Amino acid sequence: MDIAICAAAVALLDICALVILIASYMEKHSGKKVWSKIAADMELTDETRVYPLECDEILIGRHASADIRIQDMSVSRYHAMLNVTDGKWTINDIGSKSGIYVNGELVRHVRLYDNDVITLGNRRLIFRKRRIQK
Amino acid sequence: MTNPVSYLLSCIFVIVTHGSMLMNVYTNGKYDSINDIITLSAGVILLDAVYFIIMPFFKQRTYAVDFMLLLILNMSMIFQSCFGGVHFDAKHFITCIAALVSCRIGYIACRNHRWIQTKKKFVWAGIAVLMVIILLFTGSRSMWIDLGFMSIQPSEFIKPLLVLACATSIAEQMNKKKLGEFNVVYDNLILFGITAIIILFQWWCRDLGSIPTFAAIYASCFFLRICYPKAKFSKKTLIIAGSVVGVLGIIAIILAPAYVKDRIFADIWSDPDANGYQQTKALIAIAEGGWFGKGAGKGFLHKVFAYESDIVFATISEEWGLLYALMTVLMLLIMVAMPLVNPPRSYYHGTMCAGIAAAFTMQMALNIFGSCNMIPFTGVTLPFISAGGSSMVTSGLMVGMIVAAQSPVFANPSHKPKKSGKKRKRRTV
Repeated sequence: MDIAICAAAVALLDICALVILIASYMEKHSGKKVWSKIAADMELTDETRVYPLECDEILIGRHASADIRIQDMSVSRYHAMLNVTDGKWTINDIGSKSGIYVNGELVRHVRLYDNDVITLGNRRLIFRKRRIQK
Repeated sequence: MTNPVSYLLSCIFVIVTHGSMLMNVYTNGKYDSINDIITLSAGVILLDAVYFIIMPFFKQRTYAVDFMLLLILNMSMIFQSCFGGVHFDAKHFITCIAALVSCRIGYIACRNHRWIQTKKKFVWAGIAVLMVIILLFTGSRSMWIDLGFMSIQPSEFIKPLLVLACATSIAEQMNKKKLGEFNVVYDNLILFGITAIIILFQWWCRDLGSIPTFAAIYASCFFLRICYPKAKFSKKTLIIAGSVVGVLGIIAIILAPAYVKDRIFADIWSDPDANGYQQTKALIAIAEGGWFGKGAGKGFLHKVFAYESDIVFATISEEWGLLYALMTVLMLLIMVAMPLVNPPRSYYHGTMCAGIAAAFTMQMALNIFGSCNMIPFTGVTLPFISAGGSSMVTSGLMVGMIVAAQSPVFANPSHKPKKSGKKRKRRTV
């Protein structure tokens, strides 16, 4: 019984798993670039912060489970949903009390374009191309 | 497309790992002729090479899960070919290829959630058809359908379909409708009904080992609905749901038939030749194997019934050592945990990954802890490692779904790229 060969086989299995995990991390980074293309490299901002759009369905609301949480009583707990398909973003009203205004127009379901101003209750958000932070 | 250097490096390491296992078989294994090892090596390396060549044609964004799958499948091929003496296990080789093919099918079918959501009714119909097949052709007589040249276990195929049913219905969480006094989501009621019927069928078929797997899939998908917008599950609701499940579990144990109670409360060492036969032999084999095993094909467990499926963990421990058996389990866990490294970008893919991880983890726990006498022995297979075509194909399909979550497509099913680059006019949809 050659224990050295057994130990080497186990060690190689460990190393192989590690190499695949490192490859997976590298794929994660290249995946971010691909996602930027899918999501047309857009982001949402307000006066204080920038919200990256990293998922194909993004809930905006006051509730703790919302992807973009806006702690303002004028915003419903489940206010709006952002969706992306074929690189086009749309915003949907999911039963909010105060409604969604895009560039001052009350909408229920509309496609978004660069520099659109979205008003949810008293809060104003800007949908724009992602800017690289210096 | 991933980095070609990391792709090539991963290919090399997978082949080298299989090579080291084959070297271990050559040095420590039991074989009649060197030709047995050459045939086995040729089969393993050929499968590796062909899959590495084919994979890039699918133009995925990630390949890590595929590498893990191939690593595990050929490890399984080497294990199965060495039980009771080195030989080329052609049947297992074919099931490994079937698993890889079903992985590709799972990837293609599930990568675009907008497309699969339009086919939701076919998923439900598929479950219904399988239920009818179980009702007509299997049942309490046997879980298997014998086709002569092969046997099929139809209940295995329900697992990926149940995961798909849970994932495709998650978007319906938004569509609450009035039913009397309550606001309900019809899909949730249908899913609950489907799961309850599946569990009742499994009970009727006496395949109690599969019930925890189906329950785990449903439970993981149920809990994931908390994360989905507008699910509105409060902690109170969850505590009530958990308590109901606990009470139902206790009632099921109390009302369980005598043969089930025998399994649950059996003392295997007081009855080593009947109720505790497989487990006592499995525990002795694990102990005799030690850290590095007796050598491939040199164990005695291959003489015990279901050595290659239900107690495969113990058979590997005996011949390859506990360290290698644990590493194999770790590889399976890493494969299902890949979505943690590269998270899915939609609720549908997230739900799918969680359902598959729950199913695999539950099956692994039932198989390993069952053969080690830590829980009652169930006879559930260890995904990809145990022999069995139905299990291999469905497990391959489920891994294909994880691959789909890693390389998703976000496009409308009817989308066709426009030839002209004209800008569309702005309009309200």
